[in-house]
Amino acid sequence: MRLAHTVAASLAIASAGVLAGSCAGPPAAKRAEILPFIADDYARALGEAKSRKLPIFVEAWAPW
Amino acid sequence: MRAFVFTDRALERQAGRFVWLSIDTEKERNATFLEKYPIEAYPTMLVIEPEGEQAILRWVGSATVRQLEKLFDDGERAMLGRGSGADAVLAAADRLLGAGKKAEAAAAYKDAIAKAPAEWPGRDRAVDSLLGLLSAPASAKECVETARAELPRERTPHYANVAMAGLDCAAALEGPEKKPAVAEFEAAVRSAVGEPRIEMPADDRAGLYSVLVDARKEAGDEAGAKATATEWLAFLDAEAARAPSAQARAVFDSFRLAASIEAGDPSHAIPILERSEKDLPGDYNPPARLAIAYGEVGRFDEALAAADRALKLVYGPRKIRLYTTKAGILEKKGDKEAARAALQEALRYAQGLPKAQVSPRGIEALKARLAKLG
Repeated sequence: MRLAHTVAASLAIASAGVLAGSCAGPPAAKRAEILPFIADDYARALGEAKSRKLPIFVEAWAPW
Repeated sequence: MRAFVFTDRALERQAGRFVWLSIDTEKERNATFLEKYPIEAYPTMLVIEPEGEQAILRWVGSATVRQLEKLFDDGERAMLGRGSGADAVLAAADRLLGAGKKAEAAAAYKDAIAKAPAEWPGRDRAVDSLLGLLSAPASAKECVETARAELPRERTPHYANVAMAGLDCAAALEGPEKKPAVAEFEAAVRSAVGEPRIEMPADDRAGLYSVLVDARKEAGDEAGAKATATEWLAFLDAEAARAPSAQARAVFDSFRLAASIEAGDPSHAIPILERSEKDLPGDYNPPARLAIAYGEVGRFDEALAAADRALKLVYGPRKIRLYTTKAGILEKKGDKEAARAALQEALRYAQGLPKAQVSPRGIEALKARLAKLG
């Protein structure tokens, strides 16, 4: 299994269980703009993709 | 991946091939996207064909730069309908997985692997995708057999993936074949973890240690688990010391908390997390993790204060976890009434989230915990 963290784990109803594994790094982390990601705007990405006739590459992540 | 892979300048030349979209799955504004494209684990990468709004490739889990570049090639090929032979079967499998047809996708990945020559460039990704689909306990035996057959000789990131998948599935086996299978794949993961020829981000390598600790625990070897966790913690501390920024260092925080607890020294994590909270004041993760660390060492008032600081910053489904962490600390402290109130708050919040962001199972688990509290 590649390193991944299940959505169920994010909703796990543990008490003070361990938050095992890193997921995405802190949300405050500003990544250098290597790839021009559109943040949280599917409609805009879809419009651009249709006009430029390109597929959309999506990174779905969680900030924990 | 966000800290160590998508920041790699080697990816610059790929910029014009796609429209790039990042989705923070915890944000309510992305609920409509999540209803259309359900996400089961993080990170998940999708390639979407825009005219039909269909996911034509889905990759769950982390990837190296090279693996990403291969994904880009495959996504483009699937979009353009190019390819023949095993490549075409792989593209068909990817489309089936993108559409959520898991059984059909698994059959197609098997077909692609069977049809392809040994040196087929698509083989690694087809095997990784198939192993991901076989990871449910019901298919543990097939998963182990596939991992055994496909574990490559060369020490590559794919080797680490297959070894991890094999170990994960071996742990889900029942009966006499479980113990030798766990040992077999534990040895494979162990051989990957310290292997410098395997190019992988440090946070992914840290994940290998995590499964080794789990394997020792699974074997009932508490001393071995603790020793592995101590080794893991030393690795994490060294990597964190090399991190160029507070953000990069904090990528290791959750692992450092987990390793500290597993090593029997939860207090080790406290100054680490206090530093992260100071350096990253807008991030809910450091105080959320501090709540756990303080709770582990019995500093309940500080744990509750940290949980409350995190609750002021957190958003989305993670807020449920914060409330339940708080409830757990209150229970340990002996304040049953306040624990009940925290769980009721969690339930109220969960029931108000969009359906794509909270599962019925999660809500039922909250109700069960409330009922257990009495």
